[in-house]
Amino acid sequence: MKRFVIAFIAAFIFIFFWGWLYNGVLLKDVFAQAQSLFRPREEIMGLFHWIAIGQAGLALSFVMIYASGFAGGGIAAGVRLGIMLEILAVSARCTIYATQPFPAKLLVLVSIGGFIEMIVTGVIVGAIYKPKSNA
Amino acid sequence: MNWKKFFIAFIAAFVFIFVFGFLWYGKFMHDIHNEVPVLWRTEADFGSHLPWLVLGHVVMAFFLTMLYACFVPTGGAAAGAKLGILVALVYAGADLITFAVQPLTTKILCGWIVGDLIQFAIAGAMIGAIYKPRSPTTT
Repeated sequence: MKRFVIAFIAAFIFIFFWGWLYNGVLLKDVFAQAQSLFRPREEIMGLFHWIAIGQAGLALSFVMIYASGFAGGGIAAGVRLGIMLEILAVSARCTIYATQPFPAKLLVLVSIGGFIEMIVTGVIVGAIYKPKSNA
Repeated sequence: MNWKKFFIAFIAAFVFIFVFGFLWYGKFMHDIHNEVPVLWRTEADFGSHLPWLVLGHVVMAFFLTMLYACFVPTGGAAAGAKLGILVALVYAGADLITFAVQPLTTKILCGWIVGDLIQFAIAGAMIGAIYKPRSPTTT
């Protein structure tokens, strides 16, 4: 349980800072090209706690899936889980692209960032979480 | 990997996800979505982007099945539903982030989260009920 909590906190901290750096700073101008699909900046800041809660939920779900089925697999298993979960996220972005007028470039760049995020999260969780041995 | 069972589970999951998505997001939530019309493509524009919707569902069903095959190869329907719920929680996290940055109503947010939970729990249970790993050959 201790390693579970540490893995969750480490994953959450990484996802939080990566999300800020990649989506908030590096892709700022690309997001601005689809401004009509987003809330005004002041409104987003007022709802910022939902971003943090969403990222915490994402990190928690990741660690729970890893701990349930991939435990003992180490970093390679964490990376494998991260890639699979990001491909599922890309599939959701395909449905979003079909229904919302996002520029394709934006969704491609967000997906590239998503792969980096999930692979590194897999490395972090795989390196930290170890199942309790039966011996 | 038992590819025959894998393929059947994938097709069943795809059919369910596609039909459920049409009924839940396309029909049941249609008026709720239209409370924020600026977010959506027009009917004609949506029609020309429909292949992306189908592709998204195909990839979703395939990798949910793949995740199950790697995650709980002998688990059955209950374990499949559990995996589906955990995957839905990943989506719910993304939905909350989307809510913070896009002008979604709380009704849309709640509808998406509940839809994700139902969709992935049932799809996971179906995959768990269908997929069985190839049994080891005994000599």
